[in-house]
Amino acid sequence: MKRRNFLKQLSGYVATGLSGDIAALLAPYRSSPLASLLVPMDDAQSDHLKAYGVTYHVVQAGIKAEWLLNYRGGSFLLPDGPAIRRDAALAGVSVEPVEESRVTAIRGEIEASNMDAVPLEKAPKVAVYVPPNAPPWDDAVTMALQYAGIPFDKVWDFEVLGGKLPGYDWLHLHHEDFTGQYSKFYLIYAGQPWLAEMVRFNADAAKQLGAATVPALKKAVARHIRDYVGNGGFLFAMCTATETIDLALAAERVDIAAAFADGTPMDPEADAKLDWSKTLAFTGAHIEPSPQIASFSDIDGHQVNAPARRQPLGAFKLFNFSAKIDPVPTLLVQNHRQVIPDFYGLTTSFLRSRLKPSDVVLADEEGAPWVKYINGNHGKGTWTFFGGHDPEDQQHQIGDPPTDLSLHPHSPGYRLILNNVLFPAAKKRELKT
Amino acid sequence: MPAQAIGQGFELERAGQYEQAAGIYLATLRADPTNLSALLGLERVLRPLNRLGELLPAAQRAAAASPTNAALRGVLLRTYVALNEPDSGRAVALRWAAAAPRDEAPYREWAMALEDAHRHAAARDVLLVGRRALGRPGAFGIELAELSRLSGDWEGAAREWAAALEDAPVQLPNAASALAEAPDAARERIARLLTAGTPSPLTRRLAGELLLGWGQPQRAWAVFEPSVATPSADAAFALRRFADLASARSTPDARRVRALALARYADLTPEPGGAAARARADAARAFIDAGDRAAARAVLERVAQDSSAPADAQRLAQRAVVEALIDGGQLDTAARQLATNGRLSADDRAGLRLRLARARIATGDLDRADSAVARDSSVEGLALQGWIALYRGRLKDAQGLFHAAGPYAGDRHEATERTAMLALLQQVPAESFRELGGALLLLAQGDSLHAVQALRLAAGRLATGAGGGGRPDLLLLAGRVAARLDSAQQQTALALFDEIVHTAGEGAAAPAAELEWARLLERRAQTAEAMRHLEHLILTYPGSAVVPEARRELERAKGAIPKS
Repeated sequence: MKRRNFLKQLSGYVATGLSGDIAALLAPYRSSPLASLLVPMDDAQSDHLKAYGVTYHVVQAGIKAEWLLNYRGGSFLLPDGPAIRRDAALAGVSVEPVEESRVTAIRGEIEASNMDAVPLEKAPKVAVYVPPNAPPWDDAVTMALQYAGIPFDKVWDFEVLGGKLPGYDWLHLHHEDFTGQYSKFYLIYAGQPWLAEMVRFNADAAKQLGAATVPALKKAVARHIRDYVGNGGFLFAMCTATETIDLALAAERVDIAAAFADGTPMDPEADAKLDWSKTLAFTGAHIEPSPQIASFSDIDGHQVNAPARRQPLGAFKLFNFSAKIDPVPTLLVQNHRQVIPDFYGLTTSFLRSRLKPSDVVLADEEGAPWVKYINGNHGKGTWTFFGGHDPEDQQHQIGDPPTDLSLHPHSPGYRLILNNVLFPAAKKRELKT
Repeated sequence: MPAQAIGQGFELERAGQYEQAAGIYLATLRADPTNLSALLGLERVLRPLNRLGELLPAAQRAAAASPTNAALRGVLLRTYVALNEPDSGRAVALRWAAAAPRDEAPYREWAMALEDAHRHAAARDVLLVGRRALGRPGAFGIELAELSRLSGDWEGAAREWAAALEDAPVQLPNAASALAEAPDAARERIARLLTAGTPSPLTRRLAGELLLGWGQPQRAWAVFEPSVATPSADAAFALRRFADLASARSTPDARRVRALALARYADLTPEPGGAAARARADAARAFIDAGDRAAARAVLERVAQDSSAPADAQRLAQRAVVEALIDGGQLDTAARQLATNGRLSADDRAGLRLRLARARIATGDLDRADSAVARDSSVEGLALQGWIALYRGRLKDAQGLFHAAGPYAGDRHEATERTAMLALLQQVPAESFRELGGALLLLAQGDSLHAVQALRLAAGRLATGAGGGGRPDLLLLAGRVAARLDSAQQQTALALFDEIVHTAGEGAAAPAAELEWARLLERRAQTAEAMRHLEHLILTYPGSAVVPEARRELERAKGAIPKS
């Protein structure tokens, strides 16, 4: 079910269609209707990332939870019950039993401050766009979902072009290169078996799906994803996917791929032929014309693989929004840290000068010409872009050992990813402005 | 244009101010069109500025002004290729080759420019054309090898490297380094290609180094050895390199081939005495490490007979002789050597005494082990005395000696082992406990099966019930040992963990036993049951120190974090 549908049905929502196993949990979840469990998300929390999983499971079981925006780092309020306590204990998540009177006091504090309580009513159905042969440890969102215990399906070009996206509430993209140039990895990794496999895999897919070239295939996939958002889907993208999906959309009618990718050189007039009305987030960017430079365009501020342009990492700061007026951006920046060390990706950041005026900046590096984390609407849906590859591996290189999130249970960067996963679970309210 | 102007260009370039640097270089070239430094500088800075097209007129002017200058021809050639003007590039290269028919440079520059443009197939064709034109079958072997490697043709790369080595033997390390990265699937094919027929000595050395790096030391030595059959300085150097490469691996086979290489090196080295004796002493130690004491003795005898061997080599050899005796079980002979051999250093003597005591313990001869270290007041000596006291059942003495030894005796593993034993002894309410000492001695002797039985018997002598006065801790140790044995003993371990969890009450042994229980079940592929135990542990003993470990095990079992 997509956002527009479940928003319509929120008022009359009942937990129909739950599996037998989950339904069996309902009784213990509801055994103590008067008391509540507060999942603190400030420094009192022993595992911030798994707290999202515990909350997701509650909502998945058809139980209403609340997200207390800006209250103790963006805490969750859950109904008390042995099953929830058990889930929390197994996950190592700190919970605080709170009596009704304390809940009333919390609500009073929320009412009087820049805070809000957002009901969480439906566990979103999550899809992660990833090639079937990709290892699970090379994608920050996949790792976060697995660690938090949030279920997801993998989809790729066959599913996207086969019309499967409308079955999901939330779609994640990570380091896919939608320009079809294999992230220009050949500049550094020519001869590596994994790269040869990536090329073969994509070329086979293009052939099977009737696309003339891999860049043509990826453009078609990008258009399907844009349509999915336009029809009410939630899109969250990181790393290269952010920049290249917009480039692929803008280049619907122009060749921006180098000869190694599609057999023909890039159109020398490509820049002039880009159509930015087709894109989600960016406008007016210049394509990197040289196949010798590991960069796609001037959207990315850091240009990690173009030595002459590479910028050093700093730290980015989350914006403080009005919880009652702007609940969506407020929800997306819930965190126990306001300033977070930056981390590289093939696309690390987004130049301010390349953002569309309608984009909402959620985090930036003060004084720098780039921003880190942005959000916006397209049609009936929402997209969120987060630059960088792995928040706990600042200089991620191919072949690096996988990040073990049990060693980073308080990661503020990974929290931003998980904010997005729960975002579609939040009940929409009318803006007060 | 004065020299300082181009110097300013370099400074700007180093500071990343390419625009300004380009201006300086262009101005220099206007005044002096054949200024190579300026032309090369311009080539460097225009590329990242995406203005390479501006280089072409400058390169054309320079080449026209000085048509025989190879460096200027090279710039022009590279520029045409980078600008994707292949016909012009070809024309420049062929004119250059016609003017210098015996020179490799035109083809090499042309191919390198194509390679820079990632046109690997075209670069390869150019090199092959050059090889034919020059009439030298070995020409461009290294470049062709690298191109083959980049295109994933590892056998082609191996073939080219082997051919190139005949003209340039000094490239052997580069060849081995490049081919070592071959994926697993290509390695056997490379090895077969390099060892087919009658390979040259250099090809044998290449194959030997590769096989050594790929974890096949014995096969590596078999391939490598014929290449050093004829004594020469070159063969000695190759042997030394082979031995050094083998030392990077710690398997018995790798140690053995290292020993063989060192022993052969000692035979070939031109200076008997110093280097030869030291190599033999090293070879002996490697043979001992590989478990081949007979070979070690044979080598050591040659050192002992070598009157010209330097003192350090002699000392090394004497120490290796005693080590060989200890490791070979000739403990009395070793003890006599220790007592009488005046060529052993004091440090070596102390270390060997500890080694001898440990060997005595392994045979159960605690009296003579004790006498070997009785007067040793070093921390290592105190730690060993602690173990001997423990095996005699004198628990209180053992604790005192372990405390006295502190955390710095031996390596980290040994320190951890002593701390774990201290934690166990603190649970046992007795100053003396012969049955426990005997059980632990069996464990030290490697008799795990009987140690399990003895530990269970010892536990039986302690009080039952909650707390249990050390009983659950001894059963836990028995269970841990049994869990590492065969399937039948693993059943015993499961029963022991079950007993501890259900009888040990609130003590630390119960959660620790449940964690071991889950780990054993996980090893036996009973993942669901293992997860049930881990969940029970976490929920039942939330304050236990092993809960974080249990959570990680649970995450691993669920696949939520990497297995590594």
